[in-house]
Amino acid sequence: MDLDVYLPAIRARDTVAFGRWMSGAELRIRDSLRSFATVVDVEAVLQESLLRVWHVAPRFEPDGRPDALLRFGVRIARNLAVSEVRRTKSRPFADDELEAAVASVAVTQHDEPDPMLRAAIADCREKLPDQPRRALDARLSTDEASGAPRNDIDLAAMLGMRLNTFLQNFTRARRLLAECLGKHGVRIDQELSS
Amino acid sequence: MNDDERLIEEVAGAHRPVSRDALRYHPAWHDLDDAGRMRAFELGRALRRLEAAADPEGLSLTARAVLAQIR
Repeated sequence: MDLDVYLPAIRARDTVAFGRWMSGAELRIRDSLRSFATVVDVEAVLQESLLRVWHVAPRFEPDGRPDALLRFGVRIARNLAVSEVRRTKSRPFADDELEAAVASVAVTQHDEPDPMLRAAIADCREKLPDQPRRALDARLSTDEASGAPRNDIDLAAMLGMRLNTFLQNFTRARRLLAECLGKHGVRIDQELSS
Repeated sequence: MNDDERLIEEVAGAHRPVSRDALRYHPAWHDLDDAGRMRAFELGRALRRLEAAADPEGLSLTARAVLAQIR
């Protein structure tokens, strides 16, 4: 599906449309930053890049090829990552290394919403022991006022846990969830079970 | 859970401090070595897919964080 279908609504400042665009674009932009993962905080770069796409979208002129806004987002993200490497001087990064990183496009399919998978996740969540389930629920929740994810220190405090205990419970939850989903025949990222 | 595992789990989360002026890294990111940063990237990627799959609107917490800033 060409994600540019959402472009007119995004230009009209429709945040729901932008959310739908992000649900298709996020993974592909994230993957395009993989080669920067040891030198920049990809999550921070990605969130800022998505914000910049939103702000620039009203003036964006597509080139007529599919997924123009997505390709623009990839370019924004990579340029920001390169700027970060240069700004932080975290490591001597040769120009040809940067060019190679920018040139390596990891094109991935985006995940379509899958009601069966959602149901399987809900079922497996129900089977988690109490403390891991509470930690998982907290991590999947957002701040009621802002809608943003909360930091782990606040989540741990909300649950009356020490930070380390909260993180241990969350780690246990994702591993058990992955194991349970495997039993449902759901192929899930191996990272979740390790 | 050792120190590195704890740091990786923290960095793999989607929460980042909000700032108008500059990118705000997760503080624990600076304490990870290259292998830890790579592991945090891969775990974060997997968690965002899980979050999106579990979300009725198909949104990960990354998308939720961005929407929170523009709404």
